[in-house]
Amino acid sequence: MKRPAVLLAVALLLISFAVISYRVIWLKYPILPPARAKVWQLSMEAHVKGGEKETNAMIGLPSARRGLLVAEERIHSGTLNFNLLREGPNQVGVWSGAVSPRGEVIGYSATIQVKPPRSFKTRTPPLEPYPPNVGKNDQALVRRLVMKWDPLPPVDRLRRVAAAAKGFWGTPPPEDQDLHAWSAFYDKHGRVTAFLVLLRAAGLPAQVVEGLPLAESITGSTLTWVEVWTGQEWESFQPERGEIYQQPVPLLPLTTNGLPVVRVINGELSEVRWTLTREIINQWRMQFERIMLSNRFLDRWSLFRLPEEFQRTFRILILVPIGALMICLLRNIVGFPTFGVFLPVLMALAFRNTGLAYGLGIFWGVVLIGYVVRRRIDKLRLLLVPRLSVILTLVIVCITVFAMLGNKLGLREFMAVGLLPFVILTMTIERFFVITEEAGAREALWTATGSAGVAVITYGILQLEPLQLTFFVYPELLFAIAAVQVLLGRYTGYRLSELLRFRKFWRSS
Amino acid sequence: MILEGFRWLRDVGVLGMNRRNAEYIMRFNPRSSFPLVDDKLKTKQLAEAYQIPTPPLYRVIEHHGDMARVEAMLRDYQDFVVKPARGTGGGGIVLVTGHTQGGFIKQSGEVIPMKDLAYHISDILSGIYSLEGLEDRAFLEGLVHPDNVFDAVTYRGVPDIRIIVYRGVPVMSMVRLPTRVSDGKANLHRGAIGVGINMGNGTSLSGVYRSDVVTHHPDTNKPVTGIQVPRWERLLLIAARAADMINLAFLGVDLVIDQARGPLLLELNARPGLQIQVANQAGLLRRLESVDKAPPEIFATPEMRVAWVLETFAIPILN
Repeated sequence: MKRPAVLLAVALLLISFAVISYRVIWLKYPILPPARAKVWQLSMEAHVKGGEKETNAMIGLPSARRGLLVAEERIHSGTLNFNLLREGPNQVGVWSGAVSPRGEVIGYSATIQVKPPRSFKTRTPPLEPYPPNVGKNDQALVRRLVMKWDPLPPVDRLRRVAAAAKGFWGTPPPEDQDLHAWSAFYDKHGRVTAFLVLLRAAGLPAQVVEGLPLAESITGSTLTWVEVWTGQEWESFQPERGEIYQQPVPLLPLTTNGLPVVRVINGELSEVRWTLTREIINQWRMQFERIMLSNRFLDRWSLFRLPEEFQRTFRILILVPIGALMICLLRNIVGFPTFGVFLPVLMALAFRNTGLAYGLGIFWGVVLIGYVVRRRIDKLRLLLVPRLSVILTLVIVCITVFAMLGNKLGLREFMAVGLLPFVILTMTIERFFVITEEAGAREALWTATGSAGVAVITYGILQLEPLQLTFFVYPELLFAIAAVQVLLGRYTGYRLSELLRFRKFWRSS
Repeated sequence: MILEGFRWLRDVGVLGMNRRNAEYIMRFNPRSSFPLVDDKLKTKQLAEAYQIPTPPLYRVIEHHGDMARVEAMLRDYQDFVVKPARGTGGGGIVLVTGHTQGGFIKQSGEVIPMKDLAYHISDILSGIYSLEGLEDRAFLEGLVHPDNVFDAVTYRGVPDIRIIVYRGVPVMSMVRLPTRVSDGKANLHRGAIGVGINMGNGTSLSGVYRSDVVTHHPDTNKPVTGIQVPRWERLLLIAARAADMINLAFLGVDLVIDQARGPLLLELNARPGLQIQVANQAGLLRRLESVDKAPPEIFATPEMRVAWVLETFAIPILN
């Protein structure tokens, strides 16, 4: 007897769990959508001045390929055309067109979340050849400088190169003439290239990266550094200061492979300004656009695809089963008396518009007025259906009067009474009367209090924004709720109220 | 504290509402049998077929068209009871003990004019007293003159005896005594007292009034304990036989003891209440479980089941 119910509950839980896992693992949904995440707001603004021919401004933009989560990208292009170009691992925005003599303002903004770097490129990258402008002699020179470190593991080799950038070559020091040749070499090629070559000679794959330091800032210039593969991950190395950045690396890469961030053909870019600000947002906001554009089945069938005005309804509607679950709990486990199953849930929905205090006040007001009138018409011995109709009319009259009073007093909450579940209120008045007659006023008031209490609890649940969002993102949680409901349906234990009900009897035994 | 309380209730063998619904009513009482117990007329006809005594059925009023003949009909009987067939909780029942000029005397002593009683019957027909508000039938049956054994502890009205029957075996019972609060009705939730009965010998134990354990009637102040219920074996036998006529394994059987005719079946209840446990200071669950463990041969006849009960559920008399 118990088995099929448990099996059904387990099956429902599994469905729910499977769909959520699929979303989290394959579709990369955040496990806790309402969880807070630290993100960066990046914005770029620049002024383009054109030449006679068509102007092309190419600017490196943050890319998801580099382990960044980029969302809410906005482009400002004025009269120019905008294209997004992929160049290797880089993502380049291209603004093109004829620029007016006064120039044109272009812009870009995005929300960026820096993920732990483990997710990208775990395969060892190939060792690139030396740059073409480095001659045989220079190649031999750098080999001589790093040869003695060859037996060391890659991580230590990088540490030695970094020390060399600060002038410490270790013991034994290189020949004086090699050191001279080296300083001549990097005077000629620049520090970044010189160290790139040195790393290459030490057998470490490396690449030049240009980007921004991750700190709240407004800056006109970018930063260049070198990323070095040390066998497990890319480490970031600042050749200017011979410094290796600690994890998490406080850098935002924009272009790699030595590509400059900003390139302009037939024109010039002035007043480039990068702004980075910190912000704390919902995990969910980072995913939202991706899901909106995704073609995956579950993404296309997401509630987010509904028109905005219906989304609001469903945010609430999808929580109603939790309210029903609360009522199951309170009635079958606690033994709280309520009027019917749905009254508290519908009351809770109405409270969203009237507010808690006014909602409860109006509920009690209507029920008590209804009760007094119901007592009166009991003497008339009306038949059931006409009698209920009379009470329904009374409820509507009450609500109308409340709304008009609200209008006169300027209380919006009073005018929202139209959303109270009037049919349910009618049935409540009838039940309230019957319980008063059959079991006494105390019982009736207790039941009404129970209903109001459950409505307040349910209202509290419906108002929880994180819960709304979680259920909206993962509607399959409803299957899990159903599973709990099924299990509660098979709860044959005592109710808390029965401790009270049978207290006399167990105390005396 | 809570778990301790639950364990305590389990140890005493108290049957809770959830378990009653899921493990007994839903499991043993098929929905299709409910109409037979929800409609008192159907129960009565069934009882007659099984030769179980009930108060005599005088007349059935089915249609508003019959109302024209009602007055003559009512004049035929010295005393009678008007009942809705599908009434619940004692609603709509009028006990008439005699006639006056142009009207009738109710048991409470009030006079009800002929017109009002006709109106009341018309109300019954339109379903005012039936729970779902469906059209109903009204019927007249013989007024029960209860055995005077409970006179000292009854405030007006007719006391009745509720016996819970499980798989044809009477397991627990109580006598329900009307009080001033209950307005002569024998329903516990209207304020009647329930007094537990020792299944072994039919003597009354302590009572429950609202949710308190009592030993005296609140209106008459006479003790409710230690009263010997007359014809106890016969009551148990009727209850056991009533269970045989219907496919309900968990059942409340309501009986009255008429001065002249002895125990009569009043009605059946497919969802008997749990307050009877407080009246008896004993858990139902324990008794239901002992019925499940009883030797299979005792289920053969009502007589064997009753014999088994008298032997098994005897409680030492409380002082």
